[in-house]
Amino acid sequence: MNSITLTIDGQDVAVPEGTTVLEAARSTGIYIPTLCYDEDLEPYGACRMCVVEIEGMRGLPTACTTPARQGMVIHTDSDSVNDVRRTICQMLIADHPADCLACSSNQRCELQKVASYLGIAEQRLEPTLRKREKDESNPFFVRDLSKCILCGRCVRACRELRGVGAIGIAGRGYDSRVTTFADAPMDATVCESCGECVERCPTGAIAPKSEVLPPTSEVKTTCPYCGCGCGLVLGVRGGRIVQVRGDTEHPVNSGSLCVKGRFGLDFVGSPDRLTTPLIRRDGNLEEATWDEALDLVASRFTEIKAQHGPDALAGLSSAKCTNEENYLFQRLMRAALGTNNVDHCARLCHASTVAGLARAFGSGAMTNSIAELEHADCIFVTGSNTTEAHPIIALFIKAAVTRHGACLIVADPRRIDLVRFADLHLRQRSGTDVALFNAMMNVILAEGLADEAFIRERTEGFDEFRACVEQYTPEIAAAVTGVPADDIRRAARLYAGAERGSIVYSMGITQHTTGTDNVLALANLAMLTGNVGFPSTGVNPLRGQNNVQGACDLGALPNVYPGYKKVDDEEVRAKFEAAWAVDLPAEPGLTVVEIINAAAEGGVRGLYVMGENPMMSDPDLNHVRQALQNLDFLCVQDIFLSETAQLADVVLPAASFAEKDGTFTNTERRIQRVRKAVPPPGKARPDWQIICDLSARVGYAMDYAGPAEIMDEIARLTPIYGGISYDRLEPDGLQWPCADRRHPGTGFLHEGRFSRGLGKFHPTPFREAAELPDDEYPYLLTTGRFLYHFHTGTLSRQSPGLEQLSPPAPVEISPQDAAREGIAEGEMVSVSSRRGVVQARAVITERSPEGTVFMPFHFREAPANVLTNPALDPIAKIPEFKVCAARIERIGTAAADGEEQ
Amino acid sequence: MTFEDVREKAIRAWAEFEADERRLVLVGTGTCGRAAGAEELIEAIAECLPSLAPDAHICEVGCLGLCYAEPLVELRGPGLPRVLYAGLSPDDAPALLDGYFGHGDVRHDRALAVMDGPAADGIPAFDDLPMIKGQLRIVLRNAGRIDPENVEHYIARGGYAGLAKALSMSPEEVIQEVEDSGLRGRGGAGFPTGVKWSFCRRAPGDRKYMICNADEGDPGAFMDRSVIESDPHSVIEGLAIAAYAIGAAEGYVYARAEYPLAIERLNKAIAQARELGLLGDGVMGSEFRFDVKLKQGAGAFVCGEETALLASIEGKRGMPRPRPPFPAQRGLHDCPTNINNVETLATVPVILERGSGWLAQYGTERSRGTKTFALAGKINRTGLIEVPLGTTLQQIVFDIGGGVPDGKRFKAVQTGGPSGGCIPAAMLSLPVDYERLTEAGSIMGSGGMIVMDEDTCMVDIARYFVEFTQSESCGKCVPCRLGTRQMLGILNDITSGRGRPEHLDLLNEIARAVKLGSLCGLGQTAPNPVLTTLRHFRDEYEAHIEGKCPAAVCPNLVSSPCKHTCPAGVDVPRYIRCIAAGRYADALDVIREKIPFPGVCGRVCFHPCESKCRRALLDDPVAVRALKRFAAERGADRPARQRPAPKTTGKAVAVIGSGPAGLTAAYYLARLGHHVVVHEREAEPGGTLRTGIPPFRLPREVIDRDIQGIRDAGVEIRTETSVASLEELLNDGFDAVVLACGALKGLKMGIPGEDDPRVLDCLSFLKQANAGADPGLGKRVAVVGGGSSAMDAARTALRLGAEEVTVLYRRTRQEMPAAPEEVDHALAEGARLEFLTAPTAVRDERDTLKLDCVRMELGQVDASGRRRPVPIADSRFELEVDSAIMAVGQQPESVAAPGLETDRRGRVQVDRGTQQTGCEGVFGAGDVVTGPASIIEAIAAGRKVAAAVDEFLGGTGDIDEVLAPPEDVEGLAPLEEQEERRRVQPRLRQPGKSVGDFDEVELSYTEEEALLEASRCLRCDLEEPEEE
Repeated sequence: MNSITLTIDGQDVAVPEGTTVLEAARSTGIYIPTLCYDEDLEPYGACRMCVVEIEGMRGLPTACTTPARQGMVIHTDSDSVNDVRRTICQMLIADHPADCLACSSNQRCELQKVASYLGIAEQRLEPTLRKREKDESNPFFVRDLSKCILCGRCVRACRELRGVGAIGIAGRGYDSRVTTFADAPMDATVCESCGECVERCPTGAIAPKSEVLPPTSEVKTTCPYCGCGCGLVLGVRGGRIVQVRGDTEHPVNSGSLCVKGRFGLDFVGSPDRLTTPLIRRDGNLEEATWDEALDLVASRFTEIKAQHGPDALAGLSSAKCTNEENYLFQRLMRAALGTNNVDHCARLCHASTVAGLARAFGSGAMTNSIAELEHADCIFVTGSNTTEAHPIIALFIKAAVTRHGACLIVADPRRIDLVRFADLHLRQRSGTDVALFNAMMNVILAEGLADEAFIRERTEGFDEFRACVEQYTPEIAAAVTGVPADDIRRAARLYAGAERGSIVYSMGITQHTTGTDNVLALANLAMLTGNVGFPSTGVNPLRGQNNVQGACDLGALPNVYPGYKKVDDEEVRAKFEAAWAVDLPAEPGLTVVEIINAAAEGGVRGLYVMGENPMMSDPDLNHVRQALQNLDFLCVQDIFLSETAQLADVVLPAASFAEKDGTFTNTERRIQRVRKAVPPPGKARPDWQIICDLSARVGYAMDYAGPAEIMDEIARLTPIYGGISYDRLEPDGLQWPCADRRHPGTGFLHEGRFSRGLGKFHPTPFREAAELPDDEYPYLLTTGRFLYHFHTGTLSRQSPGLEQLSPPAPVEISPQDAAREGIAEGEMVSVSSRRGVVQARAVITERSPEGTVFMPFHFREAPANVLTNPALDPIAKIPEFKVCAARIERIGTAAADGEEQ
Repeated sequence: MTFEDVREKAIRAWAEFEADERRLVLVGTGTCGRAAGAEELIEAIAECLPSLAPDAHICEVGCLGLCYAEPLVELRGPGLPRVLYAGLSPDDAPALLDGYFGHGDVRHDRALAVMDGPAADGIPAFDDLPMIKGQLRIVLRNAGRIDPENVEHYIARGGYAGLAKALSMSPEEVIQEVEDSGLRGRGGAGFPTGVKWSFCRRAPGDRKYMICNADEGDPGAFMDRSVIESDPHSVIEGLAIAAYAIGAAEGYVYARAEYPLAIERLNKAIAQARELGLLGDGVMGSEFRFDVKLKQGAGAFVCGEETALLASIEGKRGMPRPRPPFPAQRGLHDCPTNINNVETLATVPVILERGSGWLAQYGTERSRGTKTFALAGKINRTGLIEVPLGTTLQQIVFDIGGGVPDGKRFKAVQTGGPSGGCIPAAMLSLPVDYERLTEAGSIMGSGGMIVMDEDTCMVDIARYFVEFTQSESCGKCVPCRLGTRQMLGILNDITSGRGRPEHLDLLNEIARAVKLGSLCGLGQTAPNPVLTTLRHFRDEYEAHIEGKCPAAVCPNLVSSPCKHTCPAGVDVPRYIRCIAAGRYADALDVIREKIPFPGVCGRVCFHPCESKCRRALLDDPVAVRALKRFAAERGADRPARQRPAPKTTGKAVAVIGSGPAGLTAAYYLARLGHHVVVHEREAEPGGTLRTGIPPFRLPREVIDRDIQGIRDAGVEIRTETSVASLEELLNDGFDAVVLACGALKGLKMGIPGEDDPRVLDCLSFLKQANAGADPGLGKRVAVVGGGSSAMDAARTALRLGAEEVTVLYRRTRQEMPAAPEEVDHALAEGARLEFLTAPTAVRDERDTLKLDCVRMELGQVDASGRRRPVPIADSRFELEVDSAIMAVGQQPESVAAPGLETDRRGRVQVDRGTQQTGCEGVFGAGDVVTGPASIIEAIAAGRKVAAAVDEFLGGTGDIDEVLAPPEDVEGLAPLEEQEERRRVQPRLRQPGKSVGDFDEVELSYTEEEALLEASRCLRCDLEEPEEE
C-alpha cells in the first residue's frame, strides 16, 4: 500500500493510504476525543467529538470518517473546533444523568473523560433528561437508557461484530433510542448475551450487573470452555474474580467473548467446589486428608495391578486440563502403572477426525487458522452449529459473509443460526453425509470443476476414489439424503468455483459409525478442488473442548505417545522408555467405550478419572453406571462432585484453570498460556501436583518445579512441540508444528507437501447409521450443544445466569411432529430409545426437521446420553451420538409404559 | 414499432384532442384540485353534460399551479374561446355548461382567463394573468395542459425526443450537454448536475443505479408531487437519459407514500413506457437497457438526504452516513449511484431536445434555467410557479403572488422549508439564485416559499421549524438530535415568557454548533430559521423576553391579542364582557385600571388592538374603540371606584408637558403618594390632545373630563409655566423630573420653495385652528402626507371654508398610516386624495402657489414591509393651490441639559430599563423619547416612566390597580362563532354633510348597538393555555 504524508497540527505524518484522519492522528500520538468511534467497527460519525479543520474542506469534517489524503493540512485542536466540541458535549451532558458517583461506570466513563479533556467544568444547558425504565431482564447486564448517548456502538457491535442484531435504533429525533425488536425486554430477544455491547458501551448505559468494585489486578489467561481458545483478562480483587474481559490483543477473539466466557466463569468461586479429598466409608463419601486419600488410591491401584496385571487399570485423562497435566497423566498410566489404557473424551468427539485426516493428509488437526476463515470466499459448514458451539469462530464466518461477501453453504439437518447467513442450506437426513459429499464430488467431476493439477501433483489414490464417487449422482444422493439434486449441484459448483474454499465441520460429522468415512469424504472434497495447503482453505474440524487438541497432542490416547508417535513402534517406544527410565507396554490400550465395556465385564478393575464425566458424556448411560459400579476401585479427580465422582471410592479435589499455571492448545493448534489468578479453594491442588504425588506413592517419582519445566520435557520428547517453551508463548502463543526454538509456528498445514507426503484419496462408499427409525422408535434422535451450556454442564450449570437463559431438559421437536404427537410447547414429554427413557420439556421449533428430535446433552435432568447408541465407528471407535431411533410421547402415555428411567 | 411510428401516432392523437371542433371539459385533478373539490365537480359536470352537450368529453389534466383558484375547469367548444374558470362549485356547473355550450356565452363570473388565445369578452388571456406573466414554464411545460395518464399527449408535445436524441449521442456527450446547460440540482444544494453524472460515469463498477429523489418532505412544498402528478413521463424520460449517461441499467423512484396519486400516475407511466419500448431491454431499439422501480418511503423527512434515502431503499433505517464515500462511488448496494431530484430530471429532456444553450439563456451567471416554487402563507395568490433563476423575491411575492392579503404588512419570506431561513422585507430585492439565498442565510431548498406578514411571530416561526426538524432528526448525530432539542427548549421558553436575555447568545451558540457539527444536511441547515430570525428579527426576540409578542401570537404570552397589543395593556375582553352584561361602570373601571384617559381613547385611540382581533379572520374586528367610548360615557353615571388615597411619600416630582404621556405619568405617581407638579407652557393642559386633534374628533369637554380625573388624584397642573432649566427644578426641591414635552416640531420636505409663507406646518396650523383662529387658507388647499394629522388638516381646512382640498400621498391607500375610518371620513367630507403623488417643488407664480408634482410607483419593499415609492419618469404635473399644509412628520423640539443626550432626530436618549436620561433624576417619556407616536403609546410610556420613577424614589414601581370587581368566568368559554356578523359601524352625524361646524362627527353607540357589538367578542382570553 502506498504511503501518504499529511500535516496534523503542524506535524508531518506518514501513513499508509486508506488510513483515516483519526487513525493518522492517533498514530502520531495526537489525541482527538471520540465517543462513537471504535476501531473494530465501521466509522459512524455520530458523536461529532472528532470534528477537525481540514484546509480546503468545507465545514468541520469528522476525523473518524475522513480518509487521509496526500498533502492534507489538518488542525485538530483549534479554538473553533474545540468550541463546537464543547457545545456538543454540553448537549450530551445535559441529556445525561449527573449521578456519576452512583454509576458503575464512574472513572471509566468515556463521556467523563471527553468532557474533562474539553475542560468542561459545569453543565451550561438546561437538562433534557428523561426518565427511562431500566431493563434488568438479562441476568448479566442492565440497560439503563437514561445514560445512553446513542453512540450506536452496542448496536453496531451486535450487528457488525456478532451478526446478531438483537438491538437497533428506533424512534426519531429526541425520541431516538436503542431498542429491541418490538421493545421487548432483553431476555425475550435474540440476544446471545455475549456482552459485546457491555464491552463497547462508553457510559453506564449497558453495564454488567456483577461488577461492584473494580479489580485490583488483572491476569491474562485462556478461556476454559470451548476449543476457540479465547484470550481472557481476569480482573481479580481479594482473591476472587470480579471481572472478565476479552483480551483485545488476542489473535483469536480480539476482545470478543461469548456468553460463557464472559459471564459463565462463576464456577471458579462456586461454594459447591470440592475443597478436600473424600473417601467412601460405609457407602458415604467422607472428608479425608490428602495423605489418607493418596495412600488409599496408590495402594488400591498397586493391589489391582499386582493381582490382575497392569491392564486391569485404566485412566481417563481430561480435555479440560492443561497440556502438562495430560502429559503427566499418560506418563503416570504408562510409566508408573504400566498400561496404555489411557484415553479421554476426544474419543467421543474427534477420534474420527484424528483417524480420518491422519490417513488422508498425515495430520489429524485443523489444517488452517481460525482467522483465515474470514478471508475464504466460500465456506462449507457441515455438522457444526458454529454459532452455539464455537461462537467466536462463527464470528469469522459471519464476517466473511457480511464484510467480504463470501458465500456460505450450510449442510445440516437442523436449521441452525448460521443458516441466516447462508446462500444455501442443505438439510440432509442425519447420517447420510457421505452420500451428500460423494454426490457433490460426482458433480464436480462430471462438470469438470476439479483441480486436475493439484490432483496430479499433490495426491494419490484418485482413480479408485473416482470409481466410487461416480456411482453417486445427485439424483441418487437426493433419494438418500433428502436434499434436492439441484441444491447438491449448486453447492458443488459454489464450493468448486471458490478460489479459497474452506470446509468447517464438527461433531455432526464425527459422531457417527461412519465418522471416519465422513471425514475422509470431506478430505477428498478439499483435495479434489485443490482447497488445502493454502491460506483460508482447508479441512477444519472444530475441536470441542478447550484443550482436547492438547490432550491428544500429549498422548492421552491408548495408541500413541505425545506427538502421535505410535506405542507399537519399537523405535518410538525405545525413545520414551529411555526418557522415562522404565519399560513400557507395547500394545495399544483400550479406548473410552472399550474401557467402560471392559469395566462392565471385569477386565478393567481400577479406574482413574481426571476431570471427565462419563456418567453424562458417554453413550448409553445406564450401561456406564453399571460398568462403573462394577469396578473394584474408582478414583475421580475433579473440581466438582460430578455425576461420575458421586460413584467414586476416592474423590480428589483439583484446582480450576484459574488457579494454576499451564498451557492449553486450541482447535487451531495454538499453544497458549493459562495463568494462576486466584488461589484454589480449601485443600484443592493443581492436577499436575496430584499426579506427581500419586506417582511418587506408586513408586515412580516425577518431580518438577512447575509446569514450565514439564513443558520443557514435552518439547524434548514431542517434535511438533519442539520449539515450545513458556518464554516463547508471549503474546500470541505458538501454533504447532513448531520444531525448534527458532520455528515461528505454523498457521496452516500441508503447504506444498502434505504431512504424509502425498494427500491420499479414499473411496468412501455410503453406509447407513447403525440404528434407524422404525415403527417402534419412529423418530431420529440427534444430540448436540446449546450456546448457554457446555458439555456435561459441570461448569456452566454453576452459573445462575446461564441457567436463567437456558432452562433445563429441553427436547426440540418440529411443529409437524408435535402436532402429530399432540404435544404442546413447554409440555413435559418422555423421550425413549432402546436404551432408556428420559423426561424432557418440549420445545417446538422449525430448527428441527420433521422426523428428527434434538436434545442437548448438558442436562442431568434429562440426560440425552441415556438414549444414545454406543455403536462405534470401526476405525476411530467413536460412538454414534448423532443418530439413534427414539420415541416421543406425552407424559401420560409414557408413564403407562412403566419403563424405568 | 419504432419510436418514429410511436411519435407519428401520438401526434395524430394529439391533433384530434386539440381539434377546434371538439367540445371538451378539462378539469385539473391534481391533489390540489381534488382537495378543492375537483372530484365532486367532475361528478356534477358528468351529470349535466349529456343533456347540455352530448358530444362533449371530460378530460382530467394536471395542475396549472393556480392553487388559490382551484378547482379549475377549462371549456372548449367550436368557435368559442377556450376559457378557464376558477373556484367552481358543483352547483355552478349546470349554469356554466349551459351558458358555454348552449348559448356560446363564455362570460361567467368565474371566468379567469382565455387559454391559448387573446383576451376575449373582457376575459384576460391566460399568459397575461399577473400570476402567469412573470413565469417561464419549462418544468411545468405540460402541467395542466395534457392528460398525465396519456403518454401520447406527452410524446406529441416533444416528449421522449430528448431520450431519442441522447441515445444518438455517446454518454459522455450527453453529460457534456447537461454540463453546458448549467443545470444544477433542484433538490436544494444546487450541485452541477452534469458534473455529478460524470462522477458516477467515471466510478468503476459494472452495476450502477440511477435514482429519482421524490421524497419531498418540506412542509409547504409540493412541486415534486405536482410535477409527477401532472407530467410523470417527464421524470421517467429524465431518469432514462441520466441512466444512459452514467451507465445504469436499474433505476428507482423514491417517492413518499403520502403521495398516492403521484405514485399511481407514476406506476401507470412506467407501465406505458415499458410497453412502448421506452424502458426495458433495448430502449427505443438501442443497446441501452434500463428499467425503473418505485420505492415508497414512509415519510421520514431525513430520507430526502441521499445516503439516508439509499439506506431506506436497502431496507435499513433511514439514517445518513458520512460522505465521503459519495454515492457516486459507493451508493445503493455499494454500487456507484446517482441521485437527482424530480425537478432536475424533468428539466433534462428539454436540455437534450432543445440544446444546452437554450436553457442556459435563462437565469443568472451561475444559476441557469428556471426554478419552481410553492408559494404559500400570507399571500394573495398561492400556487406553484416557475420563474427564471434570478427573479427577485419582490417579483415573486408581489407581482406573481399578488402581495400580502388584507392590507397587512409584509414581514418576511421563508425559503427552503424548515432548513431554510427567513428573509426580511428589507432584502426583498434579492435575486433568487443559489448563492444569493445562501448569502442571506437561507437556502434554495426544494423551493418552498412561505410568506409572512405582520401577524406572524418570527420567534414562533423559528420555534415551529425547529420543532419540525427536531422531531424529524434521525437521531444519529448528537448536535442534530440534542442541539435541536436545546434550541426548541429555549425557543419554548422565550415564546412562553420564560426567556432570559442570555438565552439569545446561548441560542446563537447552539445553533452554530448544530450547523457546524451535524452530520448531514438536515442538521447543518436546521438552525437556519433560528439564525436568520435572530439576525433579522432580534428585536422580536427581545420583545418576547420583555413579555411581549409583537405579532400577538404566542399563546403563553398573549391571553388575548387585543389586550396584548394594547400598549397600555387594557383588558379589552374583560370590559367588553362587562358591557355585554350591562355593567357599564364596571367596564369603565376596567379601562381605568390601565389608563387615565378613557374618554380620550374612546374617541381617538389608534386602536392597534383591533388590528390583531381574531374576529377579523371571520368577518371584521370587534369595534373596540367605539365600545370604549360607550363605556366611558355610560359608565360615568356613577362615581368611579377609587383605590384608597395613598400615603404621602414626601417626594416631589416635576413633570414637564401635560400631554398624554406627562399626565399619565403624573396620575400614577400621584396615586403612589408622590407630590406631582405638571408644568405646561400652554394656557390649558392636554398637549397634543388639545392642540393637535380637532374638536370634531375629540370634543374639548372630553379632554377636560379626563384631566379632571387626573387632577382629582392630586396632580397639580401649572399652566403657562415655562421651565427655564432642568437643574433649577431639581434644585427647587423636586426629587425627580419627567420630561414629556412631546415632538412638536414639524418636519420639512426639503424641497425648493417650501419656505413660502403659504406653506404651513401642519401642527402649527392645527394648533391655530383648534384654538379657534382662521389662518386664511384660501379656496384651494393641498395637504401633503398620509397620516392622522394630514387627515385632520384636510378636514379642518374644509371646515374653514376651503373648497378644494387635495391630499397628496406618495404611496397608496393601503400604506396610509391614518386609520381607515379617518380616511373614510375625509373622503366623505369632500377631500380629494391623490395617491402615488409627491411634490417636488413649490413655486410662487403670480399670487398662486404651484406645486410641482410627480407620479410615483411602488418599488422595492423597505424595512418597514411597505413598498418604497419611486418617481415615474416624465410624470411631472402641476397643481395650483392657494396654500399647502405639510404633514410629513415631526420631531421633538430641542431640549438641553447637562448629561442629556439626543439623537439626530432630536429624540432624548433614555436607559431602556430605568427610563432615566443621562442626567441624574431626569426621566423621559413619550414622543420626546420615541419620536411621534400614538396617544395610547404615549399613555403606555407614561405608565412605564411612572413605575421607573417610583422605583427611583424608593418605591416598588407597582402601579397596577384593580378597580373592577372580580369577574366570574365560570361557564364562559371562548366563543366559537361560525356565522358571519359584520361589526356595528358607529353612526355619523349627518354623514357627508358635516363640514359646516366643528362638532363631533361620530356618534356614540346606542345601548342596543353596544350590546350587539360587545356580543361579537370571541373571548380569546378564556382559552386554556396550550400544553407544551
